[in-house]
Amino acid sequence: MLDTDTPRAGASPAARIPNPPVKRKGQGNMARRNLRNGLLFASPWIVGFVCFTLYPLVASMYYSLCAFSGLNHPVFIGLENYRQIISDELFTKSLGNTMYMVIVGLPLSLIAALALAMLLNQKVRGISVYRTIYYLPSLVPAVASAILWMWLLNPEIGLINRLLAPAFAAFHSAPPAWLGDPHWAKPALVMMGVWGAGGSVIIYLAGLQDVPTSLYEAADLDGATAWAKFRNVTVPMISPIIFFNLIMGIIGTFQYFTQAFVMTQGGPQDATMFYALRLFNSAFIDWKMGYASAMAWILFAITLVCTIVVMKTSGRWVYYGGGDE
Amino acid sequence: MLYNNTMPKRRKWFSLLAAGAVAFLLPGCGRQAKSGPTEIVYWTGWSGFELELQHKMVDEFNRTHPNIHVRILSVFNATGDNQKVHIAMAGGDTPDVCSAVWTNELAGYAMRGALSPLDDFLKASGRRPDEFVPGAWDMLQYHGHTWGLVGTLTANFIVYNKDSFEQKGLRPPTNLAEWEAVNTALTERTPGGSYKAYGMRPSSLMDWAYVFGGHWYEPKTGKVTATDPGNVRALKFLQDFAKKNDIRRMEVFESTFGSNQTPSGPFFTGKQSMQATGPWIEQFIERYAPKNFRYGWFPYPAPPDGRPLCTTLNSSCFVIPAASKHKKEAWTFLNWFLSPKQNEQFCLGIDNGSPLKAVAASPALQKDPLLKYSALIAGGKNAFGPPQMPIWPTYLAEIQRAEDKATHSGGDPYTLLLAVQKKVEKALRDAQREAVY
Repeated sequence: MLDTDTPRAGASPAARIPNPPVKRKGQGNMARRNLRNGLLFASPWIVGFVCFTLYPLVASMYYSLCAFSGLNHPVFIGLENYRQIISDELFTKSLGNTMYMVIVGLPLSLIAALALAMLLNQKVRGISVYRTIYYLPSLVPAVASAILWMWLLNPEIGLINRLLAPAFAAFHSAPPAWLGDPHWAKPALVMMGVWGAGGSVIIYLAGLQDVPTSLYEAADLDGATAWAKFRNVTVPMISPIIFFNLIMGIIGTFQYFTQAFVMTQGGPQDATMFYALRLFNSAFIDWKMGYASAMAWILFAITLVCTIVVMKTSGRWVYYGGGDE
Repeated sequence: MLYNNTMPKRRKWFSLLAAGAVAFLLPGCGRQAKSGPTEIVYWTGWSGFELELQHKMVDEFNRTHPNIHVRILSVFNATGDNQKVHIAMAGGDTPDVCSAVWTNELAGYAMRGALSPLDDFLKASGRRPDEFVPGAWDMLQYHGHTWGLVGTLTANFIVYNKDSFEQKGLRPPTNLAEWEAVNTALTERTPGGSYKAYGMRPSSLMDWAYVFGGHWYEPKTGKVTATDPGNVRALKFLQDFAKKNDIRRMEVFESTFGSNQTPSGPFFTGKQSMQATGPWIEQFIERYAPKNFRYGWFPYPAPPDGRPLCTTLNSSCFVIPAASKHKKEAWTFLNWFLSPKQNEQFCLGIDNGSPLKAVAASPALQKDPLLKYSALIAGGKNAFGPPQMPIWPTYLAEIQRAEDKATHSGGDPYTLLLAVQKKVEKALRDAQREAVY
């Protein structure tokens, strides 16, 4: 095919001035064909997105305004579901339990993961073995680890209380009943979450290894203590990683479900009735899909607000080596 | 198609893509029309040896009914919930016949039009209500129609360890006061107060309410009766027991129990001397109990103003979903499976009582003392199935919550049940917005 925009060899200087682009008949067709082909190749994703993400989102928004069991046609009831949710004592309780996990459990988990990552960043013999060992719990399926922890937390025969019993006996008291005690059930789940923080550890570890050693050397020359180096070099340099783990942790913790479903079913006395579990029960025990959809949208709004708040404050504490973005 | 070297590249890609899409989509295009027998899909909620027996029975049906082929699929769920069935019903892509529905859930599905009423099928096949034990028949009715059939019917009662009783010179109690004395005598605690062994912990307000003369719903008037005096008395009894026996320590002790249906179950290891259960326990005793394990049974102990020989009934139930594509064939299978001969085979095979009067009274079932006892109680006037109301699972969850609060945090039983009453009344009104029946 001859390209008219390419200057021909031996042509005069005037002739070498490129002609203004002229749209030819075939070019328009080719652009359309390219667009069509592009869309066709992207169509599996487009179809998947429309059918399995966009449609359910829009539908659940509509259902949240309906009385709907899933079994027959939804009946439009306006904001009734939202009104009911707000006046439901279990909503408040489940949201409170979930917030406990976000405010208490998540920071503890992040701190433990960072501490572990720093330990695993040391140059000691066999460090890759330690790294593997500490990462292993993250590979255990959630249900399997839940069952394992049910045994560990057993008040009478569990390993944890067997270890704690002598210490408590010294004060003439007994170790906690963990999952059987409304005051200790959530801390038990937090403890279990810390144990499975291997995923965050790996991300922290990658971040820690990216901190330039020159900064530590400079700090050493200035006589900085280990704490000062951690506070003024390590934390700022890995702050984008902390930020990432925090955002993902907030989103994940608001959806806390599997462990409570398997281990406690929301008990004792609703102490582990988390928001997602309450939502599931509304949908599949009470058959109130509309109500559950409204709960899901409220959860989405809460998660969004929390994420935005954290993102807005991130400018003050997250340091990007390459600039503000 | 032969590969064409001269084919432009783009067309080759499209051909490959199209072929891939066809290969991917074709198998999902539903059941292929066949000239052979009509295939019906049967979902069951049973598992283990109970499922094995069903497989055998389905094979027998397929052998004896050349025009119908039943494909059985277990949708057993360890948590006891049947979410798969609910989702299938919601999506309108259901099996043709299904036994993974609890009688608890029946009215909810029926009210929303998810099931086929069986009245015409029953009439055409000459099946009559008086063939069935009254308690079994009543729990299948909603809004004047029959919505399912149960394959088994068992009463709950208390099974006790004879050796534990004899060691302490105890006899089976005949009323609530005697039971409390026996329970205290069977309890062993350490000097620190921890439990080493006990009789049993009474739980499940729903069941005990009937024992105390209460009830939860009036189907004729549609009235929720959570605050019935019998229910309040039952909750007070559970609350007093929890307080007197330090329920928290009792729960700590219970958390050491293995599952009831395993060799490490509390009843088999001697930690628990009494257990509220049904005749199916016999199967598990045979499999998992120590050798020479001796046991006996007695009904729920009633107070003087309560109901003697009282039990609640629940069972998984066979239904034909409204979306079934082969209702007639589904009924043929269901009618066969629940015919006296097959029902006897099924009930004996899994040590469950029968909902059919003839089978319950048959020599084969009557010679098994536990099944005989179960049939006696289940066929009595104090046997109560789930109320015929569309939100019974929600109601049950609220009853459980009230019990939990009363036994752990205290609170006035009447006030707690009044809160249940109000909540359930509202939930019932809300649910009825969707009523088809």
